[in-house]
Amino acid sequence: MQEIRVARHPLTSAQIFLIAFLASCAFAAALIGAFPLQMSIATIFLFAGVHNFMEFRYFAARMPVRWGRSRIYYSVGIGGVVILAAAYLSLYFSSGNWLWSINNWTLLTAGWNTLFIIWLGILFYLRGRQRPGSDWSWAFPIVFLLAALAWIIPQYWSLSLVYLHPLIALWFLDRQIRRTKPEWLRAYRCSLLSLPIFLLILWTALARQPNLPEDTNLFWRITQHAGSEILPGISSHLLVATHVFLETIHYFVWILLLPLVDFRAIPWKLDQIPLFSNRNGFPKVFAAALVVSLLLVAALWFGFGVNYTTTRDIYFAFAMAHVLAEFPFLIKML
Amino acid sequence: MLLSIVGLADIARPNNSKNTPNKGSVTTQMMIHLKEDAKEAKLVIPRSQLQQLRAQLDALDNGVDNTAAIVSSGGITRTQTIVSGLFLSMAIVFGGIWLVRSGKNRSKTAKMAAIAVILLGTGSVAMLVYANAGPPPEARSITGKMFSQAVHIYGFGSGQIKLEVTNEDRQYIDLIVPDPKTSPSPEE
Repeated sequence: MQEIRVARHPLTSAQIFLIAFLASCAFAAALIGAFPLQMSIATIFLFAGVHNFMEFRYFAARMPVRWGRSRIYYSVGIGGVVILAAAYLSLYFSSGNWLWSINNWTLLTAGWNTLFIIWLGILFYLRGRQRPGSDWSWAFPIVFLLAALAWIIPQYWSLSLVYLHPLIALWFLDRQIRRTKPEWLRAYRCSLLSLPIFLLILWTALARQPNLPEDTNLFWRITQHAGSEILPGISSHLLVATHVFLETIHYFVWILLLPLVDFRAIPWKLDQIPLFSNRNGFPKVFAAALVVSLLLVAALWFGFGVNYTTTRDIYFAFAMAHVLAEFPFLIKML
Repeated sequence: MLLSIVGLADIARPNNSKNTPNKGSVTTQMMIHLKEDAKEAKLVIPRSQLQQLRAQLDALDNGVDNTAAIVSSGGITRTQTIVSGLFLSMAIVFGGIWLVRSGKNRSKTAKMAAIAVILLGTGSVAMLVYANAGPPPEARSITGKMFSQAVHIYGFGSGQIKLEVTNEDRQYIDLIVPDPKTSPSPEE
């Protein structure tokens, strides 16, 4: 007697991850393509502060108690974050005074960009010195090349940064998956390959759409942020949708995916964080910093509720610090 | 490294325009006339519309609106060109030093890749510099040739123009553009 058996191939966790990623991206692309302005407002309101908290939590978990032979690296890294963020805020909030001509603005921002690029080059170089047998001095010619670009095309430079920043989170996730969930790496990289396809679909669908309305200050700020002034020949509908889509993925990675692959990034799991649990650590300072961060998230929601446009501007000015803080940790993971 | 250059990221550029998008402007009609007998380009503005513009100017002078202050010229200053050239030179020098220093340790492929990156990068910057070279003469004077297909690729044109105010009762601005007939080339 023959027995008929149905062969079952249960989905692996990596396959479930891939399907969920693709489905989420498809849903997000459709929703954002249809309502770019509304989704821009909603995603920033809901996720901006939370993702900053998660980033802070992630970086704090990776910070060693004793810097040891990485002392110079972390000093340059954290010092650079403080100095560059302070310089950026000074430039930002002094932009309304009578000294602020377009030429001065161009020169000062190009100067800031140059300092930022050189800082990155130094971090790469220092990281290379920590790896035996490697010479990362190749960073300097690239740094100078990028600095030349920052001076010759400052407006396109700034815009490229706006669109490239969300991809940094994907790089973090790649490094993290390699360390803590290597069985997902192939599925993750397959999902990354789908992003250009989603973008291509968005661009094909929205290229001929009329520009988005700019009849309120908020709408104008959103379209300007996405580059509608720099790229006037491209539909602002397409630009805003592209930017919001990338930002949404950025938030999605920090809030959901990184804690999923690294349980040390789960906010309430503090027992394996060196700064908190090590006997030489600073548990009270760490806990206080977490509480302050949560209060800032709540304050941000309150601000958005009271005056969305102003809070958005203030948020993006101060958000520079978290963007800068990503680099020392990212380069350290290389 | 290219992916790590992200700094301003999701940051809006400095808010040097605190006004609303309702920029001061006067909406009107414009007519463009190509005239064979015109000796110079001329923009004729009805007095009524000039008065509206003057009102806008007064508002600017009184600090009501700072729109004009944020209009970018879109050009590159000499300082930008010099500093950019300086960094470009340093990129080539440091790239060369790195290649020489690492010459014995690197594979041929790695060296070729490094040279390609530097050349491509330098070429990109050089292209941007050349792309900012002046447009052809057709786009640097306001004549009928400005409307030719060859000039369209630049997307803009400029040149000397005479501004005139007219008391005629009209609702449009008139742009008179010289359009002299070109003499046939010797081959024709």
